[in-house]
Parts: sequence; C-alpha cells; structure tokens
Amino acid sequence: MNTTVMDHNMSSERRPGEERKFIGDRGDYFLNRIQGETNGNVSACYQCERCTNACPVSHFMDIKPHQVIRYVQLGWREDLLRSSTIWVCLSCEMCTTYCPNEVRVAEIINHLRNIAAHSSIAPKEKQLAVFHRTFLEVLSKSGRVNEFRLMKAFYSKPHILSEKIKSGNLKEELLLGLALLKKGRLKPFSTRSKLTKDIRKAYIQSRGEIV
Amino acid sequence: MAVDLKSPVGKVIVVGGGIGGIQCALDLADTGFYVYLVEKSSTLGGTMARLDKTFPTNDCSTCMFSPKLVQVAGHENIEIMTRSRILGLKGNPGRFTATVQKRPRYINEEKCIACGQCAEKCPKKVPDPFNGSLGMRKAAFLTFPQAVPLKYAIDAEHCLYLTKGKCGICRKICPAGAVDYDQKPETLQIDAGALVISTGFEPALTASEGEFGYGRYQNVVTSLQYERMLSATGPYEGHIRRPSDGKVPHSVAWIQCVMSRDPSRNRPFCSSVCCMHAAKQAILTRTHEPDTRAAIYFMDVRAQGKGFDDYVDRARFNYGVQYLRSMISQVYLNPENENLIIETFDHHLNRKKEEEYDLVVLSTGFKPSQGFSDLAATLGLAANPYGFLTTEFDEPVSTSRPGIFVCGGIEAPKDIPETVIQAGAAAAEAAILVSEARYTETATRETVPEKPIEADPRVGVFVCHCGTNIAGVVDIENVVAAVKKLPHVVFATDFMFTCSTETQQNIVDLIKEHRLNRVVVAACSPKTHEPLFQETLKEAGLNPYLFELASIRDQCSWVHGNNPAKATQKSKELIRSSVSRAVQLEPLYDNSYAVVNKGLVIGGGLAGMTAALTIADQGFHVYLVERSDRLGGFAQNLPFTLEGHSPARLIRYLIERVNHHPNISVYLESKLDSHRGHLGAFNGSVQKNDERVDIQYGALVVATGGRPYEPKEYLYGQDDRIVTQVQFSKRLVDDPSWARRLKRIVMIQCVGSREPDFPFCSRVCCSAAVKNSIALKEMNPGAQVVVLYRDVRTFGFKELYYQKAREKGVLFFRYIPEEKPAVYDDAGQLMVDFTDRSSHRDFRVSPDLVVLSAGIRPGEGAMQIARLLKLPVAETGFFLEAHVKLRPVEFAASGIFLAGLAHSPRFMEESVTMAKSAGQQAMKILCKERMKTSAAVAEVDPEKCAACLACVRVCPFNAPFINGDGVSEILPSACMGCGICASECPAKAIQLKHSTDDQVLAKIDALLASAL
Amino acid sequence: MKLSFYPGCSLEGMAADYARSIDAVFKALDIDLVEIDDWSCCGATAAHSLSEAMSVILPARNLSAAEQMGLDIVAPCANCFNRLRFSQQMIQKKVLDIPWPVTGDLKIHDMTRFLAQPAMIKQIKKRVLKPLNGLKLVCYYGCQMVRPPRITGYTDYENPQTLDRIADAVGARVIDWSYKATCCGASIGIGRREIGNSLTKRLLDKARQAGAEAVVVSCPLCQSNLDMIQKDGLEQPVPVFYFTELIRLCFSERRDPKWFKMHFADPVPLLSKINAI
Repeated sequence: MNTTVMDHNMSSERRPGEERKFIGDRGDYFLNRIQGETNGNVSACYQCERCTNACPVSHFMDIKPHQVIRYVQLGWREDLLRSSTIWVCLSCEMCTTYCPNEVRVAEIINHLRNIAAHSSIAPKEKQLAVFHRTFLEVLSKSGRVNEFRLMKAFYSKPHILSEKIKSGNLKEELLLGLALLKKGRLKPFSTRSKLTKDIRKAYIQSRGEIV
Repeated sequence: MAVDLKSPVGKVIVVGGGIGGIQCALDLADTGFYVYLVEKSSTLGGTMARLDKTFPTNDCSTCMFSPKLVQVAGHENIEIMTRSRILGLKGNPGRFTATVQKRPRYINEEKCIACGQCAEKCPKKVPDPFNGSLGMRKAAFLTFPQAVPLKYAIDAEHCLYLTKGKCGICRKICPAGAVDYDQKPETLQIDAGALVISTGFEPALTASEGEFGYGRYQNVVTSLQYERMLSATGPYEGHIRRPSDGKVPHSVAWIQCVMSRDPSRNRPFCSSVCCMHAAKQAILTRTHEPDTRAAIYFMDVRAQGKGFDDYVDRARFNYGVQYLRSMISQVYLNPENENLIIETFDHHLNRKKEEEYDLVVLSTGFKPSQGFSDLAATLGLAANPYGFLTTEFDEPVSTSRPGIFVCGGIEAPKDIPETVIQAGAAAAEAAILVSEARYTETATRETVPEKPIEADPRVGVFVCHCGTNIAGVVDIENVVAAVKKLPHVVFATDFMFTCSTETQQNIVDLIKEHRLNRVVVAACSPKTHEPLFQETLKEAGLNPYLFELASIRDQCSWVHGNNPAKATQKSKELIRSSVSRAVQLEPLYDNSYAVVNKGLVIGGGLAGMTAALTIADQGFHVYLVERSDRLGGFAQNLPFTLEGHSPARLIRYLIERVNHHPNISVYLESKLDSHRGHLGAFNGSVQKNDERVDIQYGALVVATGGRPYEPKEYLYGQDDRIVTQVQFSKRLVDDPSWARRLKRIVMIQCVGSREPDFPFCSRVCCSAAVKNSIALKEMNPGAQVVVLYRDVRTFGFKELYYQKAREKGVLFFRYIPEEKPAVYDDAGQLMVDFTDRSSHRDFRVSPDLVVLSAGIRPGEGAMQIARLLKLPVAETGFFLEAHVKLRPVEFAASGIFLAGLAHSPRFMEESVTMAKSAGQQAMKILCKERMKTSAAVAEVDPEKCAACLACVRVCPFNAPFINGDGVSEILPSACMGCGICASECPAKAIQLKHSTDDQVLAKIDALLASAL
Repeated sequence: MKLSFYPGCSLEGMAADYARSIDAVFKALDIDLVEIDDWSCCGATAAHSLSEAMSVILPARNLSAAEQMGLDIVAPCANCFNRLRFSQQMIQKKVLDIPWPVTGDLKIHDMTRFLAQPAMIKQIKKRVLKPLNGLKLVCYYGCQMVRPPRITGYTDYENPQTLDRIADAVGARVIDWSYKATCCGASIGIGRREIGNSLTKRLLDKARQAGAEAVVVSCPLCQSNLDMIQKDGLEQPVPVFYFTELIRLCFSERRDPKWFKMHFADPVPLLSKINAI
C-alpha cells in the first residue's frame, strides 16, 4: 500500500551504534510464563516473517510481530511492555491464522498487553490504553456500552483532549461526533442491563488478575 | 514334479512405473531376474515424464528419460502391466503370490498401432491431467508421445460410448480394429520372490485448500503445472503463457514451502526438491523470456545436493533471479489485469510493500500418490503419519514387511538421482533375497544358425501402409511399382502393418523363398522398430546387420500430409537411398569375451563394506582394499544419529560380517597400485607393505569416503572450548556429567562449507547441530543452546527434528557470510558476537563452549585412485559421476562405480543406499558369463594412423588409446559406436562399422541422384 | 423456529438500522428471535485487551442466560459472535471460575452463517419479491467473523462464502475480491484514527477497483467504519449495506428511501439506478 514512511524509530533495521544485546539467563522464566499462560507455541517459531507480512499495521509497530516472538523467547519483558506494538495490534488474528507453526502471535501480543495494563509501565500508546480502560468502566457501570456515553467518558479523561489537540485531530473528531448525532447513530439515552452489580463485582475481582 | 517350497522364485514385482520403478526393473532384469512392472496408469513415466528440464544441469528431462523408457519397453525380461494394481499378497519372502487387477484399456494393446486416429476423431474433450488440466485431451488418448507402451487408451469416465452408449466413432475408424468397448477388468495371480514399492508422489496441494488463491485465481499455478507450461510437449508448446489471457508474463513469483514445513496443515516436513526446482524454473523463465522478472519468496534455500549451491548462485547472479527471504500469507488479485499482488513488509523503509506479478507459481510439496494408503494397508506396510513408507537406518530400502522393498518418492520426497540410487539399492535387496534363483525365470532366445549368403546382393523391400498413416498420404502401389525397378531389388511388396506378428512370420518366409540377403522396410522409424526387424532377420537365418529402414512415415507422410504427390515421390527417393546403402551392408558379428566374476571395492568404510556385502551376498567374490589398518571408516566415530540410531553398532556388525564372509577377501593397510583392462576383465595389483598381489576383477566400486574438515577459523585449535560437532557428540556420550554442567553453548554452522574456496554444502551439518542440540537439551534442559546458521537445511523428515529442537528451546539465529560471528576470549571468558538477520539486532553471548559445524572433505585416498583409474574429480576433490541425474553411481568409464562420501557429502543411510546401488550396478557385469560387444564399433587402420591423438581426445568414453605399436587402438568393449572419432580423424584412419564411408556415401548419392 | 438473540450494544446505537432490518427479515422468515434476558456487553476488544478473565466472564453471563432459555444463540455482530465463541471454548476448558451457572453447550451462530444454510437460502429466495438485479457489490466479512478459525469455525477464512451466497440469493451481482477478510482497523479507530482510516480507505479503493458499487457487511463496527469515512462525501460513494438491509429490501413491497437515512454514503441514488427503490 506504500503508505508513508513512519517514524524511523519503528524501522526494524539495525540502528547504527545500538548497543549489543546480551543473551543471558533471564529468558527462560519469562518464556515459560508466557508459554504457560497463552499456550502460544512460542518456541516453535522459525522466523519466517509470515506474521509481519500479514499484519495490516506492522509499519506502526516498533517491534514487529516476528520480533515479538523472538523477544519473548529471549525474555525481554521490558522491551515488549514498553512497545507500541502491544497497543497498536488490532487483534485481527491474521498473524495467528497464517502462522505455519501455530504460534498464537495475536494471543501472545494480547497477553503482553494484559500484563502491561497491570504493570507500572506507562503504555506507549496512551490513548489506546485509556480508551480500553474507559470502555470497561462504562461497561461496568451500566452493563452495556452506549457509544455516546463512551465517547463522553473518553474525552473527559485527563490528557485525552490535550492529546487530540496536540495531534490536530480534535476538530475532526468533534465533527464526526456531531455528524453521528445528526444521523441518529449516537443515542444520548441508553438501556442498561439489570444485574450490573454482578458485572461490577467480576470486574473488580478480575483487576489485577490475568488468566 | 515335486516343488521345492524353500527355493525362491526368480521373479520380482516392481510397483510403480516412474523413474524409480523403471530403474529398479532394469537393475533386476539386467542381473538375471524376471520383472513385472506394475503401473496403475496407462503409461510408464511417473512424475519425471512431466518435467521439462532438470536441475542442476538443465538437461532435458524427456531426452534423458526416453532412452530409459525404450530400454524398459524392449527388455525381454520385463513385463509391463499398465492400468494395474495389487489387490492382495500371500506367501513369504522368496515366494509371494500377488493378486493383480488390470483395468480395461478398451483398446487392444496387441492390435493398437498408435496411429492416433481414435484420439483425432474422438468428439469428447476433457481437461488433460498430464498437463495439470491446463490443456485438453480427448477421451481416447495417449498420455504423452513417448508413452510406454505406445498404445492408446479410452478414458471410461468420459467416453461417450462407455458412459452413454452413444458415439462409437473410434471403433468405426480404427484401422487396426483395436477398439474394444467390452473389455472387462482382469484379475491375475503372479508369483514373485520379492516386491519393490516405487509408487512415487504427487503434489499435495488441491484447490480446496485455498492456499494462496490456488483454484480461485487463474494465474496461480502449481510448480508441476508450470513445469508443463515450460515443456515443449505441454499445453502451450513450451511458450510461457499465463492461463487467464495467454499473454507472456512480465513477472513471475515463486512461493516456496507451500504445503511443506507447515505443521498447521499437518505437513511439518520439508519436500526436499522445491528449492531447487524453483531455481531451475526461474532460470528457464529468464532464458525463455529475458525481459520477464523472476522472484522467489522463500525461508531457507535448501541446496544441500551436489553442485546445488552453485546452481542457486547462478540463478541469482547470472540469471538475475531475485531471492526474497520472506514468507507471505495470502495472494491478492488485481481485478483490473488479473495480476497477483504479494504484500510484504519492507524493513528498510518500514512500510508495507505491494508487488504485482503476472503469474504466481506455488512450489507445492508432495504427498504419497493417490490410493497409496490402500496399497500400504493391503500389503501391511508401516507408514509414517504423512503416509510415506518407513524404513530403518541400517536397512534404508526395506519396508516393515520382509521381502518388500522401497525406493523413490514414496519413502520420502526426493529428487531424481536419489531415487535412481534407491532404485538400485532396492533392486540389490530383492536380488540378494532371490539370488539363488538367478536366471531361472529369464528368457533366453534360441538362435537360428545363420545361412551363408550369396555374393550378389538380393534386396527385398517391404512397404508399410501403417494403417492409413502412410497409405493415407503416399500412393503405396505406385511406390512398390517404382521400387521393383531399382537395381538389386529382387522382391518388393506392401503390408497393412509390417510390424504385426503375423507379417513378421510372412517376412521370414519371403526371405527364405526369394533367397533375400538384404532387407529394406519402408515404414515408421528405425528408432522404435529397427530392433524388431533385426530379430525377424535373425529368425530367417540372416545376419541382422543386413537390414535397413526407410522412414517414410515420421520423415514423410506425417510431415507432408498436405502434398500426397510429392510425399509419394519422396518415399520413392528415401527407399532408393536405403536400397543403395543396403547393397553396401556387410554381415557383422557381435563379439564377446569372458567376464571375471569377481568384484573389487576400494575403501573399507560404511559404503565400501556395504558394497562388498551386496556383491558377496549374491554369491560372488569381492576383494576389499582398505588403506588403514582397520575397517569401519569415519562413521565409527559417530555415537548417535539424528534419529537416535547407533552408527558404531552398525559398523561393528558390518565388520563382523565382512570378516567372516566366505566371498570377501579383505586387504588392510593396502592400496590398489595398478589397474588395466576393461569392463568385465580388469587386472590390477594390490600393494601391502612390500608385498604385491595381482588380482582380476570384472567391476570395481570406488568408496574412498570422506573426512571432516579441520577448521582454521573461530580459534579452533587455540582454545579447547572450541570443538567440532563430532567431538561434541562424543563428549556428550562419554561425559554426561560434563554435559549437565554446561550452561550455554553456541553452535556455528557452515564452517568450511559454502565458502569461496569450498563452495559446497556439506549436507549433514544442519542435522548434526539439531541432533546434538536435542541431545544436550534432553540431558540438560536448562542449558541454553544458540545455533548460528545461514540456511537451515534439515530437508525431508529431518525437518521434524528441527521443529523438535526449536520446541525444546534451542535458539536459531541467522547470520550472513558478510557478517560472520566473532569468537574471542575476553579476560578468560569466551565471547561470541553476532548479528541476527531476522530481528536485525546485534547480540553478544558468553558461552561455555563453541561448537563448530565443520564440513566434509573427500577421503585421503581419493586422489591416488583418481589418478590411477583416470577418474574425473571436481575442484572440491569429490569424484564426478557419469551423469548427475540418471547415472549417479557410475563413472563414465565402464565397469567402475561410485558410492558414499567419495561422491559427495551424505548421510549414513544415504551412503548405505548408494553402496548397495553401486554393488548392484557391478552385479550387472559380474553375473554374466560373457560380455557382448557390439559389432558396430569404430576400428583403426594402423597403416593410416598418425597417432595424432585426435580420437583419444574426442572420445567421450575413453575408448581409444595409443598401443604398444605407437598407433591408436579402440577397445571394442569400450566403444559405444558414436562415430565421433571416425569423423574427427584427419587421416581417415578410422571407420565406424555399419556406418562406413562407402555405406553413407552410397545412401547420399542415391538420394541426390534425381537432383543431379 | 425459535432462537435466542444476542443483539450486542451497537444494535442499540450505531447500528440501530441493522437491528430494524434483522427484525423485519426474521419476522418475514417466520423465525422467532427471543432477546436474551437482560443481556450485557460482551466486553469487545477492551475486555480481552486489559483482562483476559473479563473477556471470558462477560460473555459467560449471556451464555448462562441463554442456557436458561434453552435456545441456541444467534449473534449479528461479528465481534460479539467471536467473543461469545471464545468464552464458550474457555468455559468448556474450565480454565476459570465463572460466577454464573454455565456449561457452554449451546450452539452459537453468526447470523450470516445461519442465514446462508441451504434451507434458509431457499426460504429467502422464495420470499424475494423483486431481486436486486444489477447491484454490483463485494462482500466484506472483516476479521472477527472468520478469524481465528479455531474459534469461528470458518475453514474458508480467506475466501468465506456466507455473505456471497446470501447476496447472490437476493439477486445482486457478487464480485469476488481478495479483501473479504482484510482488517478495516475499526478497533483502533478512536485512539489512533489515522491508522484506522488508512486501512479503511484502502479497502474502499480495492472495492471500487474490483468494480463494486456497494459493499455488504454483517459487522456493525465494519459498517460504521467503512461508512463513516465517507461522511464528507466522496466523488464515487460506496454505500455500505448490512446484509439484512438487502434481504429486507427484496422482501418488501414498500421501498421507503427514508429507510437508509442513517447511512453516510447514501445508497438511494444507486438503488434508484437499478430500480430497486
């Protein structure tokens, strides 16, 4: 699709002057943890790059999908949790579906996102992380997610407005919101499910808990 | 009469008529056994018949294969059973009875003259499976022009008469009355002492898989379809066209590993041949269409065979084939032009890249041929989870059922030479099993004594109608009338089918009746029919060299169908020319000489011992000459194989057998120091210390073996923490507690292989690294194993172990030769720096041990043998075989064979296979009492010879030599009758008998007579 | 026939027109869709992104409710379908405690596959009053309905056929294209609009290149994503239909242009061109 060249920090080419990475002992612990929690076939990877070629957004990722698997094998937890990759991933499942070795790339990336969400590491893609969190908050309050309420809650979050202003997207977003309202596609009033208490309980229980 | 139930039957059933089955049948039939060659389709040929050219020589597949087909078709001890399959098997090794079902062909094989009229007139078109359904054929068909048997068949599924009772045109028009819609399946019981399974493979991809748009987009084809597209006999007559619009593609992409190396589709193994055939197809594409771009998408280039890396390099650098190391997920269609889009990720520019190709070729992996699982079940043969037959390490061509052997693609996907080698080995195993019954079932023809001939030539001419093939164009009556007027012609007539059995008898009677002493048949082609008519002459008591065939069909009626008058005239001229030559013909007598029924094997390693046993077990004596003071060779240093077998145990067993075998004489600390003579009758001497023993032998196997490369790189020899794979595996076994203490090791691949001064892949090192990695991980799961590789070449089922190693946590990183790893000592700590090409990162690791995968070099004695026997050697020091594809275990010099590492780096089971095969080729000579030499050989007139050496230099078979009298002499036993020397000789001192100057000139003069 | 119906949140907002068309189609087909009692959100992308436990538990509540109704489930939204199926598999594997009684034994249909069954296609064809002859369209399945195959059960995940069969049944001219299941980027929309837009625009380009005048979808997220990007009008708008909108259109005598008022890319000109309105 020949999209524009992105930030060069995202290139997977070798960066001159970059420090040599040391292969040490830590690898196995993290590898075994991820393998155990995702059943993702991490070790089977033979680095054919099918996943990276199949991924629709690999050019927006700092660690490409095939590299994610390598990093997991080497136990490079921090690099992974600090990456844009884990937030940019669309969970479209192209990588997993086409992997010849049945490595569950998408599931592994999603799991890393889970771990990152419960860690103290600040997400590289803040807006995406905040959006997901907002979604769950709205959900836990009313059991269902009304898009209007979701948008409202999202924009009320600290820094989101300023981020949107900074990126020059605010006007566009507001116009879109208005257009949707006009079309009747955003509904200010919503239904909710009755047993939200249950959901809230489950939500609270599951915070900090990762399957 | 009492039947001895213990003695074996001297017959063998070979199942599958591809190159493997054909080679195996020939290797058995030529050593005194009768062979049933059972093929399920209408013709022999298999996959090889569908190939255009072959790697790494770009030889034409058909040109190589056709002579084999002709040979098997005309072999008196091979019975070809097409459209047949095995339904059951009873009995025991040595005495089996098989139930064979023969499906109807609906065309009587005896009567069909292959004129092709049935197919021409058949109204029903069907997609041609031979061409991968890219073209059409008729319901009455001949699979391909060189089909064996050369007989048409009717496709019962599509024939209008057989499906609907309508039509029947072919029956009406068949000039030979061969069409028979009432044929029924026949079931036969046949006895055989052994079976060989060679049913081959077929592409594993079907349209229903949906892989890469195959079956969805017209311009996505399989590699086998593309092979047909390249072929001159294919659907586009050898012009590369894309299926959707018939246009020449401006760009072609190959996608490798389709249905291979893909555990997600339960196809976790490598199909072994696709890397090379993609390189070949890309080269041919660039040759056919120099403006067409060729790109190959791949993971690892698996060029582990002899000369393969060089071939791939030529593809890249000489032919501009692009190699793109990237696997893709999906092929997209550009609806505007039916081009195909391949999306990859461009690491350099960090963007997604779309590339458009006019045509995409899927390098499809292979699976056992359709219906094979039924056969395996019927015969009770063990197969692996993917349907291929399983064999054992020490018996690599034996199936799980005694007495049934295997060769070719049904054992594992493999290329032509490996198949040919296995075919010989399977033949050897079968021959050993039934060797007592040698010559008990083979046919020997009774010879009619030759009658003296009159001095004056009395020529008889027989003109063939070939149904309407000739008579439909040529005015036969007119021709016969003209022929009768030619000088020396005493009799001339015509026949509907001169080749029919009935006519043959007629000709014998006519020869006798008219006291004919020269015979000319004007008919089809000498290529197919000369041997038949020569036999007819013999039966009439006439010397077979007094025959001449005028090709008025292939060279006249078939090419001048639109001009009957001129075709008739040309026929007359061709016959006149042939008659003129016939008058000049002389009776010639084939010579023969006694064969020394003893073999010689040079080299006492795994291959040498196996070759010796292959001969000795068939009851023939063998001399085994070994340079060192013990048998066993290098293999005894290897404690275990990738698959977990013990080479040392096998070697001990072989040494034991060789030493106690009554038919083997072992010479240790010895070498062959002289060698003379020719095929079937060599003399040589073996030197041991100061002693010399003269020996005679009929054939010789060179098995001088290999040795490991001693690395000069990566601090080897300077630091004892740097070892080779062989040293490492030994220590793993000898010192398990040491192995359990290892924390981290690094293996470096391609040490001393694929280097400018040794541009060869050593084939086994990737598997050795995988083997030792797994072994270490099993003893010490906590150890970190890092393997630095260039391409992982665990071909075939060895790929499963690569997968296993990865799953055990072995880390494989790819380096490129421009960025070799650096091994150094940092204050007592061993360090390795390297760059990984997948993650594009620089790494450092500090291992306890660095293991070098050192390559293989030719054995020490090889050069001495090469000089002594004048055998060709490649730059790398490995011997050069006679022909890369079809004669992999032979030298061009007759009677000398090649096995094991002396040929090229290979696995032990491959060496065993090759040695058995070489032994069996030697048996073709040793089992004969006398060796015939053709009479149509070149002869030197010593009076005229100036000893200029022209003949010595040009002869491809090394037949001429300067004898004691200082003139050239040509050994009849070595001469193949090609005539090159005769035409080169500046002094005209050489005449090729049966093609003498007088004979050739007479033919030309007569042909030009009317023009002059 | 009676099935439990899991509408999902979008059908109450962004995809209210989808909901109305489903209602009409199922009524016409005489299939009783019973909304799952007090259903709640499946958790969508957010739940599994932040808490895999939630992504099992949230759908489980709905599965539990449906089990009490004893009716197999049909879900119109691809994302909901995917999440329900995922949860069901995890429940069957018993990997964690679920606060509701649930076995995971019910069948979960995605709505397209349910209606693409041969018997249903027959029913649909029978009720078509006026086929949509001349409507050139491509079917767009997106990710969640087909991938990963081990969850969705689609073996033809690269070239699925369910929407194709339905669009064919209502007389449209279905054009094969290679981008049936290429991600439209909806899940990243709000946080990183430019990424989502780049994917969406490309899909519309590819659809036009294939010769399509419209796209038919089943997923509310895909629909809004592909449609919203056309809000400022394109030179060559590509209306994005829910497949049930097309079925409904063929089933009814009265063809009210106002029906499509929620669409940004107005389908009315196209439908009038082929005399469907």
